[in-house]
Amino acid sequence: MLGFLVRRLGQGALVLVLISLITFFLINLAPGGPSAASRFETTAEERAALTKQLGLDQPLVSRYGQWAGGVVQGNFGVTLNGGQPIGPILRQRLGNTAQLGLSALLLSVVIGIPLGILTAMRRNSALDHVVNAITTLGMSIPDFWTGIMAILLFSVVWKVLPSSGLYDASAGFSVVGWLQHMILPAGVLAFVMLPNLVRFTRSSLLEVLGMDYLRTARAKGVTEPRVIRKHALRNALVPIIAMVGLILPALLSGSVIIESVFGLPGMGRLAVDAALGRDYNTIMAVTLVAGAVVIVTNLLVDLTYSFVDPRIRHD
Amino acid sequence: MKRTGKLTSLMALSLLLAGAARAQSADPSGTATFVTTADPTFNPWSPNAFVESNLINELLFPGLTRWDKDLKPAPDLALSWKASADGLKWTFNLRKNVKWSDGQPLTADDVAFTFNDLVLKKELGANQGSTWRNAVTKVNVVNASTVEFILSRPWASLPTYLAYYAGILPKHSFAGVTDPWKFTAFNKQNPVSSGPFKVSQVVSGATVRMVRNENYWGGAPKLQGVTFKVVPDSNAQLAQLLSGDVDLIAIGNPETVDRVKSSPNLTLDIATSNIYYFVALNQDDPRFQDARVRQALLYAINRPAMISSVLKGYGQVATGPIAPIQKTYYNANVQQYPYDPAKAKALLAQAGWKPGPDGTLMKDGKPFVISMPTASYQQLVPISLLVQQYWKDIGVKADLKTMDWNSYIQQVIVKRDYQASAAWWSTPADPDVLPYYDSSAANVGNNIPNYKNPKLDALLENGRKAGSVLARRVVYNEAQALMAKELPYLYLWYPQSITAYNKRLQGMRGITQAADFQYANEWFVTK
Repeated sequence: MLGFLVRRLGQGALVLVLISLITFFLINLAPGGPSAASRFETTAEERAALTKQLGLDQPLVSRYGQWAGGVVQGNFGVTLNGGQPIGPILRQRLGNTAQLGLSALLLSVVIGIPLGILTAMRRNSALDHVVNAITTLGMSIPDFWTGIMAILLFSVVWKVLPSSGLYDASAGFSVVGWLQHMILPAGVLAFVMLPNLVRFTRSSLLEVLGMDYLRTARAKGVTEPRVIRKHALRNALVPIIAMVGLILPALLSGSVIIESVFGLPGMGRLAVDAALGRDYNTIMAVTLVAGAVVIVTNLLVDLTYSFVDPRIRHD
Repeated sequence: MKRTGKLTSLMALSLLLAGAARAQSADPSGTATFVTTADPTFNPWSPNAFVESNLINELLFPGLTRWDKDLKPAPDLALSWKASADGLKWTFNLRKNVKWSDGQPLTADDVAFTFNDLVLKKELGANQGSTWRNAVTKVNVVNASTVEFILSRPWASLPTYLAYYAGILPKHSFAGVTDPWKFTAFNKQNPVSSGPFKVSQVVSGATVRMVRNENYWGGAPKLQGVTFKVVPDSNAQLAQLLSGDVDLIAIGNPETVDRVKSSPNLTLDIATSNIYYFVALNQDDPRFQDARVRQALLYAINRPAMISSVLKGYGQVATGPIAPIQKTYYNANVQQYPYDPAKAKALLAQAGWKPGPDGTLMKDGKPFVISMPTASYQQLVPISLLVQQYWKDIGVKADLKTMDWNSYIQQVIVKRDYQASAAWWSTPADPDVLPYYDSSAANVGNNIPNYKNPKLDALLENGRKAGSVLARRVVYNEAQALMAKELPYLYLWYPQSITAYNKRLQGMRGITQAADFQYANEWFVTK
């Protein structure tokens, strides 16, 4: 197990280096430049001064070297469009996205997996058709539309929830206050992610339900709930865990739109703003952190397999 | 006489009642909430301060002048000003006893610092620095409440430009700061300011809270505080206005106006700003150096129809860079270009462009094909598509290439690698448009079409030298006539800016949105 961990972490580090190299050279080769030096009304004289100030007149390779040297020492540098240290911004944004993403994941898992099980057990029933229709809607409707509709209903018409923004805990933290701010964005994000989980759980369980060993269990007189819980679900769980593992990075990207609509300052918005404003340093930092999240998530998913299915060993 | 007296008494009474009602309804602890699209930079001169920072900086950093209701320069930090006979020295007398939000006095040193150490320093590349360096050499401190602007060439519109996002910054805050754009403790967190409000809390990506600046020279503002929420999505902004979470938004998409009208709590303010949309034709391309070709391409565009479709009618056909909002200087009696495809074709025929076998115009064996980059930004894509269609009708083919805003700037502004492109200018409400038309600004400055005309250069230079309003009017009338005839840009329209706000927010002057923010101490909300 230790060898597996070391090997995977080593691979992860290598992947991150490759990601940083590809991202750095691609974004610098892309047309445009940092917003400060590339504004509509900037004159050639101003642009030349700003390019020099930002160090963009240096050769690309030496700029990568400087950047990588900083990162190795835990310093992501400062934003090109504002001169702020990137580390604290990343911490704040990652925290907000984690709140949003994990809440949405929790909602998706708590609702999605039981719904998937239920629809698999009651295949072709009215419930199955209704859930199927709702999940199709969830998959087809764009998340920005769902977000705006949710704001219109819950904030404009019924006035029960705040339309946007972060929960302000400066006057003391309250769970109710936090929930009030998080339920709409997390709910909408979950609504977008949930259909995949419901359908995947359903099909995964249906596949297992037809297996011989379940017929044997039933023939032995095992009750149906126990057949599902102990035999079917356990075997169907491995692909579901893989699915959850895939959803987690998708939440990171899915949060881009949700964060914009609900005015939440998270990683998604940071990434989009940095890309649009060609803030090379921020783009690099966000890409690296997102890459690390995906690598760690995959590792955790692989480790979870062996707990769920004892046949899987990581030697 | 008696009747008149009665009427006067009635009017006085109703005014008194209105005043009393207003006094009763104003909430002394009231706050207002606005939106912005990204984290602002609290420094109007920073190259990182964009549209998201403009209005906030208006609240924080007053300039020497500000707009009055006729969009003329009115006293702000400066009480009066005077130009020397040769127009090369302007003396500004500052308001006395003005304090910064930290209690320090605001003096001539701050004005000199702002210009000498930030704006005029070439190596800093300050926002709009080139415009200032073009005429201002340095700012001298005469005494604590008097400054002199020393110019290299006359600049009659200096007081007007001083009202246009030209806030004064505190010298003492910047002491020991080597790079003013990386001074994030000031620019991003907690600036020392002199406007009616001061920053109290910044949550990156979420909110900027401001509270009353008790040191404001105009007395304590009526609002206790102002909050700006960072909401990049325009639909989300509208939803927040409708829900009452936000008090005021600028409507970018006129299609949403009806939604605002249907809400009883909201009202609209429709104003004309000094903004004009245009199609720039790159004058480095010999085809566009023929004025007949430029005129033909404008005759071919049905601008009223575009205003109806793109702006839902909220706009007016443009005749030049000086918008009708500048009542003193706008010249309507210039050459007009009503939609006339037949005339467009005739002019192009005169210029040697004849229809080829597939209907595309040809000259010297080459088809009339125009490369037209555009950006997925605001309404530029639909505008470009419509222009493309109108030009196709007269046999001119435009190849559109859509890109993101940043790439567009790189291609069109930095490299000037385009033949035609639609965009807009938003400029101070002043007839001095020299930075956008002068030959010296071609290729390197704001003269996007690279248009060079010594006659226009001379006129615009004379406009800067003209001392009186009358003299300026004569010069700029002529300049407008010349521009309308020559078409350095193909003028499309002057859009109306639409502001939607909650009726509880009152006390705004209704000049333009930017000008209203210069009088934010007068705003209040009803209980």
